[in-house]
Amino acid sequence: MYKEKDISIDFLGIHLENPFVLSAAPPTDELEIAYDGLKAGWAGVILKTTSVENNPVLLKYPMMSSFGPQGRKVTGLGNIDLISQYHIDDIEKRVRILKEAFPEKMIGASIMGARKEDWQNLVWRLKKAGVDLIECSFSCPQGSMGEAPGRMLAQSIEATEKVTGWVKEAAEDTPVLIKITPQVTDIVEVAHAVKRGGADGITASNTIPSLVGIDINTFEPYPSLAGKGGYSGLSGPAIKPLTLRTIAEIASNVDIVISGNGGAFSWRDAVEIMAVGASNVQFCTLPMVYGFRTIRDLKSGLAHYLMDMGFDSPMDIIGKAIQNIYSHDELPSPYTRAELIGEKCIGCGLCFDACNDGGHRAIAWDGNTRRPNIDEEKCVGCAMCMQVCPVDAIRMKEKIDDSLNYFVIRR
Amino acid sequence: MQTTLSREQALLEAERCLYCYDAPCEKACPSAVPVSDFIYSIKTGNLKGAMEIIVEANPLIDICGILCPAFCQDVCTRKQIDSTVRIRALHRYIMENTDMEENLEIPEATKEKVAIVGGGPAGLACARELRMMGYRPYIFEKKKIGGIPAQEVSSARFSEGRADREIGFIKKHFAIDVINKDVDSIDELANGYAAVFISTGLADEQDLGIPREALEGVYKAREILRDIKDGRTSKAGKRVGVIGGGNVAIEVASALKAENPDRDVEVIYRRGMKEIKAFPDEIEEANELGVTFQFMAIPKEIRGTDKVEGIVVTRAHLGEPDESGRRQPEPVPDSDFFIPLDTVVIAVGQKADKVFPGIQRKENGLISVDENMMTSVKGVFAGGDIVRGASTIVECASDGKKAAEKIAKYIEGSVGNV
Ligand SMILES: Cc1cc2nc3c(=O)[nH]c(=O)nc-3n(C[C@H](O)[C@H](O)[C@H](O)COP(=O)(O)OP(=O)(O)OC[C@H]3O[C@@H](n4cnc5c(N)ncnc54)[C@H](O)[C@@H]3O)c2cc1C
Ligand SMILES: Cc1cc2nc3c(=O)[nH]c(=O)nc-3n(C[C@H](O)[C@H](O)[C@H](O)COP(=O)(O)O)c2cc1C
Ligand code: SF4
Repeated sequence: MYKEKDISIDFLGIHLENPFVLSAAPPTDELEIAYDGLKAGWAGVILKTTSVENNPVLLKYPMMSSFGPQGRKVTGLGNIDLISQYHIDDIEKRVRILKEAFPEKMIGASIMGARKEDWQNLVWRLKKAGVDLIECSFSCPQGSMGEAPGRMLAQSIEATEKVTGWVKEAAEDTPVLIKITPQVTDIVEVAHAVKRGGADGITASNTIPSLVGIDINTFEPYPSLAGKGGYSGLSGPAIKPLTLRTIAEIASNVDIVISGNGGAFSWRDAVEIMAVGASNVQFCTLPMVYGFRTIRDLKSGLAHYLMDMGFDSPMDIIGKAIQNIYSHDELPSPYTRAELIGEKCIGCGLCFDACNDGGHRAIAWDGNTRRPNIDEEKCVGCAMCMQVCPVDAIRMKEKIDDSLNYFVIRR
Repeated sequence: MQTTLSREQALLEAERCLYCYDAPCEKACPSAVPVSDFIYSIKTGNLKGAMEIIVEANPLIDICGILCPAFCQDVCTRKQIDSTVRIRALHRYIMENTDMEENLEIPEATKEKVAIVGGGPAGLACARELRMMGYRPYIFEKKKIGGIPAQEVSSARFSEGRADREIGFIKKHFAIDVINKDVDSIDELANGYAAVFISTGLADEQDLGIPREALEGVYKAREILRDIKDGRTSKAGKRVGVIGGGNVAIEVASALKAENPDRDVEVIYRRGMKEIKAFPDEIEEANELGVTFQFMAIPKEIRGTDKVEGIVVTRAHLGEPDESGRRQPEPVPDSDFFIPLDTVVIAVGQKADKVFPGIQRKENGLISVDENMMTSVKGVFAGGDIVRGASTIVECASDGKKAAEKIAKYIEGSVGNV
């Protein structure tokens, strides 16, 4: 009954019906599950990271843990998973089956190897199976094989460049993505190394090494395996700000295609991730938490956003925000003050606490009327009060060169 | 009285939704509104997407956002934690903050003409769905397009302008024409219709079956509601007794009290508070207006010579449950008492009128249909209250939708055309 907007994109020469792809993770680790994901409307899959036959993968359970408020339990998801237990012989078959079932969709596969022969063998076999794209995991938080076991490949500039070269040499014209970790001193250096190695693009980024929590009664880490635990790869909404930073830095400094990943939980997150330079967006935690049906709102939300903004294609968003990102010393100094929108205020007093104990004591509290009063003389415009107001009754007023502007949080 | 949610309230309410898999609310909704999906879209700020989901599923969603009994809320999983998500209020929030005309895409009307008799919820829904499939629906309506929500539901609950929004939307975009005509027989319809859908609702009201019902001062509930809705002063006096315990009884009682707060309005019901069929919000509203209740009172006879002077009722005692599962009132011997009244309003149910000769009916006057919603006459389909008996807007909307599918199949030759 309502017009459907075309939200297809071109990603490294591959046509995607929408920018949303299932990343290398449990949702793509079983043939039937990946199949259902594609059927539900996801534009493509990257099959969970595989390796050569002689590499045993010993998984340990429980594998997952999380943190978040009651209402939305999974703000951050931790896992101690490894790469897939299925080896390349299975994955080759799956690529063929999925490609035949979904010729219009992107069927990608993720690989990890130790020696040059392994990496190149994996590539040749996937190419023969008809894969559309190869992603190399240089960033499994549980460490990689070969070079420096236990350490992520992408944490070494030299190894990153060298292995990228091996893979691209074997892949020839099949697009190659290198999946990196944000856990490095200089992300731009890594991106340069990927580029020098000849890859077509970067997947930024994988999960982030973390310790999800500690049981305060038993002192066991989460997840606890008979009392013992370790570091988890963190994913989900908690890591989105880190992903945005990683992608923005790469996009601002290196001319390379970016596949955005890490913390995307809605079409809005996807738009933000594309606005800082990603060409498409991969998802793992969202479908793991709420299922493949989440694609419906991703597509519809993006389509409406594009129409409302007057954009023709999702590709018009790519990098839109980069021009507004500056280093601190380059930022302007507007005259900024908090302003109360009286009719919206419900009198909870949270802004008072925030300013009084964590700001500049610029808010006075009238206990009789239960209303805050902002003193423009004392307010420096830090915007802390605005962060805590539950009803968006505080906005920041900024003046620069005689032009008055309001900075409002829009959610 | 339910009101519109603010943006903050809507977002918080939406966050309460657990987004259940195989969501019970969606199964409970007669129009199968994808509740979890539309609320999910509210959470992500995709209001327009949410609007499209609910409008596509339920042709009367704007009206349901205010008037639906919300079957969905009865089964909400969230109740097992605290209380139901206010799904109906979220419909309303969306419909009041989006424009259902935006991005509308309707196919060319190239297919057969279909006659729809009765422009209430069932007829409107059927017209919309037929038009979406390329058919040309013509609606025949004897009074005002919109059926009961437009003609009788009191303006306090559902304002005139609000009714026009969605009814006007369907009329403007989906009905080829609305013809003002009282159709008594299918033969009256001009030739050239490939099928007919009867959705005339229940035009008449049940009698009480006690002495002196014809006396001056005795009225039927919907008659009063129509007067008030049309802007006329009702004929009711100063001391009104409303007989019945359904939604219509409560509605007319509230409307009469609101019309004149000085008038005494008492609902007289033969069972107890627990057995009352009306929805809790409606009862609460009546209470707030000052309507009073006389429970466990079985009307015996109306008293008066020229006009009503009062009613004699017998005290009831609750016996065994009947088919509806509610306990049956039984008269307590020698317990008659008199309630002085100048007006008696009867609200004990609707019934079908006797038009459309040749179409098979059940004993209670409702039209009989087969599994394809087709009546005893080939090519003539029926749905809504005239088939179900008194029901609800969302059920009638769902009937209209289903009937459109069956009619399309029939015209294409794959249903009922043997
Ligand atoms: C007072 C009242 C309040 C109600 N409140 C609610 C509520 O809050 N929520 C809810 O869900 N339900 C409510 N209901 C029930 C709901 O209104 C009905 O179930 C629903 O309207 C029935 O839809 P319908 O299309 O079958 O028939 P109707 O709504 O009755 O529409 C039938 C239409 O056909 C026309 N018509 C009849 N005969 C002919 C003819 N021979 N030729 C041409 N046109 C004809 C009529 O004028 C009317 O417009 C209420 C009912 C009443 C009486
Ligand atoms: C249980 C689990 C297993 C994963 N396995 C892999 C893997 O084998 N290879 C890989 O490249 N990434 C793997 N990932 C990382 C995801 O593909 C994705 O990069 C990460 O979860 C961040 O995206 P998200 O925030 O949308 O979940 C895994 C993630 C999870 C939660
Ligand atoms: S139409 Fe009624 S029953 Fe259906 S989802 Fe909406 S409020 Fe619930």
